[in-house]
Amino acid sequence: MQSRYVLTGALAVLLTALAGCGNGTGEPDAVGGPAVMRRLTESQYRATVADIFGPEIPVAARFERALREDGLISIGTGRAGMSPFSIEQYDGAALTVAAAVVGEEHRAKLVPCQPKSGASQFDGECAKRFVEHYGMPLFRRPLRDEEVTRFVEAARAGQDRLGDFYAGLQFALAAMMVSPEFLLRIERPQPEEKQREVVQLDAWSKATRLSYFLTNSTPDEELLRAAGAGELESGRGLQRQVDRLVASPPFEAAVRAFFQDMLQFDKFGDLAKDPLVYPAFNSTVAADAQEQTLRTITHLLIDEKGDYRDLFTTRNTFLTRALGVVYRVPVATRNGWEPTVFEPGKHRDGIQSQVAFLAVNSHPGRSSATLRGKALREVFLCQEVPDPPANVDFAVVQDPSNVAMPTARERLIAHRTEPACAGCHAITDPVGLTLENFDGLGTYRSVENGASIDASGDLDGIAFNSADGLAQALHDHPETPRCLVEKMYRFAVGRDTEMEERPYMDYLNREFKASGYRVPELMRTIALSENFSAISTVRDAEVE
Amino acid sequence: MTRTSSVVTFALLLSAGAAGAASPEFVQNGRAGFVVTGIRYALGDDAAQTGACPRGMSLNVAEIYAATPEGKRRKGEPDDAYSKRVEAGGRAISAASNGRNVCANPEAAPPDPHYRSLESAKVVADGIDLDAVDSNAQQPAAGGMCPHQDFVGRNGQRGVDNQFFRVVGCNRSFQSTGQSNGFGIGMLTGSWGILITLDGVDDIRNDDDVEVGFVSNADPIQLSPTREPLAYATYAMHQDPRYRSSMRGRIKDGVLTTDPVDVRFYTEVNSLFNDRPLKRARLHMTLSETGVIEGFLAGYTPVESVYDMQFGFRNARNAAGEPGPQMLRLHTANGAARVLGYTCQGAYQSLYQHADADPDPQTGRCSSLSTQYHIKAVPAFVVDVKTQSANDKLIQASGNAK
Repeated sequence: MQSRYVLTGALAVLLTALAGCGNGTGEPDAVGGPAVMRRLTESQYRATVADIFGPEIPVAARFERALREDGLISIGTGRAGMSPFSIEQYDGAALTVAAAVVGEEHRAKLVPCQPKSGASQFDGECAKRFVEHYGMPLFRRPLRDEEVTRFVEAARAGQDRLGDFYAGLQFALAAMMVSPEFLLRIERPQPEEKQREVVQLDAWSKATRLSYFLTNSTPDEELLRAAGAGELESGRGLQRQVDRLVASPPFEAAVRAFFQDMLQFDKFGDLAKDPLVYPAFNSTVAADAQEQTLRTITHLLIDEKGDYRDLFTTRNTFLTRALGVVYRVPVATRNGWEPTVFEPGKHRDGIQSQVAFLAVNSHPGRSSATLRGKALREVFLCQEVPDPPANVDFAVVQDPSNVAMPTARERLIAHRTEPACAGCHAITDPVGLTLENFDGLGTYRSVENGASIDASGDLDGIAFNSADGLAQALHDHPETPRCLVEKMYRFAVGRDTEMEERPYMDYLNREFKASGYRVPELMRTIALSENFSAISTVRDAEVE
Repeated sequence: MTRTSSVVTFALLLSAGAAGAASPEFVQNGRAGFVVTGIRYALGDDAAQTGACPRGMSLNVAEIYAATPEGKRRKGEPDDAYSKRVEAGGRAISAASNGRNVCANPEAAPPDPHYRSLESAKVVADGIDLDAVDSNAQQPAAGGMCPHQDFVGRNGQRGVDNQFFRVVGCNRSFQSTGQSNGFGIGMLTGSWGILITLDGVDDIRNDDDVEVGFVSNADPIQLSPTREPLAYATYAMHQDPRYRSSMRGRIKDGVLTTDPVDVRFYTEVNSLFNDRPLKRARLHMTLSETGVIEGFLAGYTPVESVYDMQFGFRNARNAAGEPGPQMLRLHTANGAARVLGYTCQGAYQSLYQHADADPDPQTGRCSSLSTQYHIKAVPAFVVDVKTQSANDKLIQASGNAK
């Protein structure tokens, strides 16, 4: 395995040399990929509404389940269609948001003008101001004249039907919020460059991509101004904006959004545990477990400016009392979070030993070495593990009360005698069985059904006998940072990487390593790169 | 312990490492904590099984009135009218000759000949021997005690002091299907609780010197979705020194016993909080391998306190620690007596009749009653910090802060 990495590295250097360096930073010439049209995720939708109208404006909607593609929802957002249910929910959400914006409570603050002759008379000028005021942040670009006219006319039609100016504005705003221009991040290339094979996104699309990548929300006023002023086309102007966004408080939301996606926290929506087997599990534990891991991540990566690989060995975390029951650790703070350092030797090194990972990758009534092993390889190492064949007999592994085979290791050994299963289990089980010291919720245990648990295992040739050893092996695995780079870039551009982007990925890997594996620095490097906002018109045509 | 020292304690706990390796999971760094998950009076079997109440069960005021000639049903009297007349007759009995309600003033009432106590000498009862004497009611009492009849324990042990059982053993509501022994349910709603700590534990099965803390819980108990108390939750000790006691104890073959110490905890019924003091209290509990600890909390409760906490609610407080609403206290006491099947004065008189400890130097009348609780607790982390409800800001804003 080690020799494969060396070979890959050598090829990368060669390809980089052949590709040349495009912009003096060591970045290869941009090759880009197809332009994508990405639907706002639920968190992006909510953050966008809060940023434009204020956090007090409610978003009353149940969003459709996100589609995960190639391991990330952020890629699925560019592939999934919209169901009638989804449209219905968007419509309901838009009407509620619009009603709150023009409602009496917020009207003075959020409606930029008042109708000259009172609310019973339509005021076209005021309606136009309103549409233009919100059109720009909602569509993330200036509205075209015909668009302004269309939405002003919608306001007029609303007033004609309902006899109230603000009711008209409500319908105009709701119409904007169900427009594809709002719900989808439609990326457009620079118009004058269309004849070239690789072109840059136009300023507004670039601002949008930057903003959702670095803040998980809509471009703020300053970024839209910079886009309008052409400042994102210059290296210095772009750097100023990227550095501003990376240093801003919303940057943490972007880091959270990425890791929520990478760690597949959407699975918590379906998570169920047998209350008789795991009495400590409830909705609070489910919510707190996600927040614990996200706090661990942002604390290490942002507050401490730490090495990404240390996420797999850190014992610094945050707990609530609900989580303390699961971890069997005292938590003095009754309401809220308490910084905690797990005791050495308690096998709580790294985020892979936290409840969020262990509980999600288990069954409702038992742990799963296979699910955990699969998740470790797919989530953290970007290694693909095939799904099981359709005709597998799971009887043995699904019976945790089996007296003859009291531990999961023994049950899985019996299961693996089936040739159809052996191949995949050889990949998943050696790592997953090491996490058998944690039950299906994540509480530490040393025995199962009265038998001692053998937690030995290995990860691609590195042997260990406890979760701590697995933590160090993950930390040291050469694919760990490479996988992060791969996923971060795919998260940023909303698509899988192209073969032609290998030199660029190698560039990112080199930069990531040079930064000491600092994730904010990686995100900055991506955001500043030409490839980040490059569109391949050739592959765009292939997609079409 | 201050906040700072509690943090240090955590740090020590967390850094214990291999020191706790040989101990069960619920013992960390020589400390074990528990949260009480079940509490009830330790009593005996039902009178219907033992035949311990040959003169029948105690009566409530309505039943007493119905047994009088004027309380008999008149010919042709409709159900509704008769029922109202009986209730009214019962209410009349509930007032003393001076017009004051007898539940609030039990000392002003005449003797209740209908109250029944458990007089049998042969009945088996739960509990432990508190005075180290196998007392016989026919013989002079040991020093500091009043004559009383001890019970035989379930395992045949002699000398079980449980005079509270004598007082309530012939009350319908104290039989196994009755409601009076369910006061512990309030604990599961989070309105009160009890914590037990063991410190200086070298060997959880055999240790001749451990420090035992018996403390009220300042936090609500944490329950599973199926409403079972959770093990290994964290709870804060009550900061009021009245609700914190420390005892010397020992563990022999997994059985914890403690030296007598005065303890006090509080319970809540019908939104009324009552103190439950226990003089010269002892613990006698068995530890299981999983950390569940179960057994008896036994001692002597002043008669006036037993009456207040179980029958009269005279000094009950609201959640803010102020005297509870007078009408609520009055209706709770009278309603309980009516529904549960006794009279307030009957219970009060029986309590003094069976009091077995703390004799008055002048009159010789005892003023305390042996009282035994059966308690069960599961492992918990007990911390000594001032805890805060998420609703504290609202409470402060409403001006109802304790």
